[in-house]
Amino acid sequence: MREPEFYDVRWIEGESTSILLDNGKIEDINTNYGSGCGVRALCGGSWGYTSSEGVDGIDTAINAARELASDVNKHSPGEKVTLASYCEPNVDNLPSIKETPRDVPVEEKVELLKDLSNNASCKGISSTSASYSESTFKVHYTNSEGADCEYELTRVGFAISAIASDGAAYQVGRESNFDVCGYEMFRDPGILEKAQSAGKTAVDLLGARQAKGGKGPVILDPELAGVFAHEAVGHASEADLVLEGSSILADRIGEEIASPLVNIVDDPTLHKFGYYPFDAEGMQSHRTDIITDGVLNSYLHSRETAGKLGGTSGNSRSQGYSAPVVRMSNTYVDNGNSNLDEMLEELGDGMYLAGTRGGQVNTGEGIFQFNAEKGYIVENGEIGDLVRDVSLSGNTLEILKNVLLVGNDLKMHSGRCGKSGQAVPVSDGSPHLLISDALVGGVQ
Amino acid sequence: MQNYDIGNKVLEFANKYGADEAEVFISANQVTSASVRHNLIESARNQQSQGLGVRVVKDSAVGFASTNIFNRLEETVKSAIAMAKVRDSDEDWKNLPSSGKYPAVNGIFSKKVNELELEDCISLTKEMIDGVCSFSDIIAPSGSFSRMNSNQLIMNTNGVEVEEKGTAVSGFIDVITTSGIPSTAYDFRISRDMDIDFYGIGKEAANLANSCKNGVSVNSGQKDVVFHPFAFSDIMESSFLSSIEADNIQKGRSSLTGKLNTDIAARGLTVTDDGILDGGIASSVSDDEGTPSQSTGIIKDGLLKSYIYDSYTAGKEERYSTGNAVRGSYTSTPSVGTRNVVFDHPASDIISEIKDGVFITNVIGAHTANPISGDFSVEGRNAFVIKDGQIEKPIKSLMVSGNIFELLRNVKGAGDDVRMVGSIITPSIWVSNMNVIG
Repeated sequence: MREPEFYDVRWIEGESTSILLDNGKIEDINTNYGSGCGVRALCGGSWGYTSSEGVDGIDTAINAARELASDVNKHSPGEKVTLASYCEPNVDNLPSIKETPRDVPVEEKVELLKDLSNNASCKGISSTSASYSESTFKVHYTNSEGADCEYELTRVGFAISAIASDGAAYQVGRESNFDVCGYEMFRDPGILEKAQSAGKTAVDLLGARQAKGGKGPVILDPELAGVFAHEAVGHASEADLVLEGSSILADRIGEEIASPLVNIVDDPTLHKFGYYPFDAEGMQSHRTDIITDGVLNSYLHSRETAGKLGGTSGNSRSQGYSAPVVRMSNTYVDNGNSNLDEMLEELGDGMYLAGTRGGQVNTGEGIFQFNAEKGYIVENGEIGDLVRDVSLSGNTLEILKNVLLVGNDLKMHSGRCGKSGQAVPVSDGSPHLLISDALVGGVQ
Repeated sequence: MQNYDIGNKVLEFANKYGADEAEVFISANQVTSASVRHNLIESARNQQSQGLGVRVVKDSAVGFASTNIFNRLEETVKSAIAMAKVRDSDEDWKNLPSSGKYPAVNGIFSKKVNELELEDCISLTKEMIDGVCSFSDIIAPSGSFSRMNSNQLIMNTNGVEVEEKGTAVSGFIDVITTSGIPSTAYDFRISRDMDIDFYGIGKEAANLANSCKNGVSVNSGQKDVVFHPFAFSDIMESSFLSSIEADNIQKGRSSLTGKLNTDIAARGLTVTDDGILDGGIASSVSDDEGTPSQSTGIIKDGLLKSYIYDSYTAGKEERYSTGNAVRGSYTSTPSVGTRNVVFDHPASDIISEIKDGVFITNVIGAHTANPISGDFSVEGRNAFVIKDGQIEKPIKSLMVSGNIFELLRNVKGAGDDVRMVGSIITPSIWVSNMNVIG
């Protein structure tokens, strides 16, 4: 057996609690204690991974990973992988926890959810669901180059959804917030306003008509524009996708790919839901300017992709004990200097698209499709009728070039991002964006 | 410790700390997989997991906790009971399932799959890549092979004790053309037995990407659309399946509430939820709370015949569970979910019957559908023009939108290409009057 040249071990131990309230009644309440490890070994150009969950023995896992790597290398040798050099991180930027969630009685968390549900239940709402989650876990990283570092992180959050029904039709309104902080998140009365807004959205949508599809100018609200930054641009900037030939941004570093007003950043050092002090390869987290003044500046890297393409690693993440993958963290379009009124005036007649019901992207061809939560018809710069079932689709590079104005009201939203079968916490955001031409899908 | 010993120990702790009823769900999985990157096998992986979930009932309130740390069993049970005590008594709670007569289910464990060595996994992965390379100018940026051995045990204080072993093997490949405007495609197969043509997966995907080069645009309008099993199952999963789940019916979160024994689909369309299908990915002798699996007619010749139930939602209506309690993993409580869903319709040569339409292989954005209203809007991928009974040019890009309940009424026919797309089994489906935006 050829001896692997590198291995590393991530050991994770933690506990989590989640509560789900359905129409004011506890539907599910759940605590988990978990531990396990993920191990990688590299032999030539081949990786071996093992994860063992609830099974003892880090040494067994290391040996198994080494065997897998050397077997793959023997049967399917690839080009030798050279990892960008390792540097021990400083873990000195951890978010503060003012109120440890574990110390708050479960009864109080249930009361909180009831409050949220009541606030979402305005006239016309037929049902609500509210969920709470907390998790605290410790990550310990070591590798064959002598690394040895660890951190502990607490995440909390809630989600509320409200359904409005008139017997025949149904509409949903959703709001949520997740963060790297303690129970103090729930001391902010602003969360009750979010719940009210979920209820109002559902009721308003029920009365809205369906949108008409077509091409034209649009304003994207910070939430939908943030999804665009994450899904369409962020994913295409992941260097593993660039290397596998699945990114429209391959070979474009230094090229002007967007309107000069566009700046897109990924920053895991921000104390937002996508925060981490060091990545899944034990590398210091750092801000990456993906697009600066319209010019593609940098990809997001693991040690392997940084070794191949040059660049700084620190963007490897994994869900639990899974193998690390190049991922985003807190990704946003940076502030410009327009305000919404100026943007509406410039838009004249068009659509204002707000919120999101998710989206999907083909990063290889650079095309995307997102469903907005709602849309408004804009006439003569005035926001008018609400419409529902609107989607935005198009070509990533065209949309980037078509950005006419960038607002000054950056707002972040938290969520989870899926890639390679793994979900990791992220946030994304943007100020309002005015796009000169986009394809809006509707039903009519 | 063996699973039975662990299970008994958990039930003993539950009894000791005052649970009226208790259930333990233990799962142990071993997954071996290989990943493709840029036409090469980049890595191999071995994932072991073993964990358990404890559901306890105290004064008609349910609590749940889970762990994979086997020296913390007592703490886990205590935590589940503490959770139950936070809740009010639930007057709708009846009982955990009792031991029943379990059906025989064929083809869910394969010795051949179970015993695959890493070398076999590597050579099957290579076959997929070879299939792709049978076309010039096409590469596989990514792909994967996976083999799973699973073992599951459910025990409760009402006498349920059911253990089951299963296997599954799957192959997935993404391809892209390397010259001209990029054209992409993918193909995927999953089975419980060693009956997949892995070379064929690569070849099919490459063939599709190849035929989609130089796409044309298509006019917007109401059109006949043929959905390939990939596209059809993706749309159904996101916009239809949740509406037959009893908890959504009971909570008023389904458009099918009150629609039993009414026509909700075209005559000819039959939909079955089948937990005992031979070789089905979602087949097993019991559901995830120990109720015997069964086959349940959902839509028969267009008529809505039944919803699907777990023991809790069935108890609310004083009826039997349909064996539809499912769990994402041992860390979650069971809830109502579909098993294998089989779409059935008399087959014909549907393309030859269509004068002017489109064929859509797969869609992106199906998960953005509104599962309650059934409204969806998706981008069609690997789509083709159908003209005068023939498949013609590929289409560059198109959107298709509509409402799933209208779509079901507008089903006009089906192909004979029945395919198992994960737990959804369907032929290509022909639907009229779809809104296509070119």
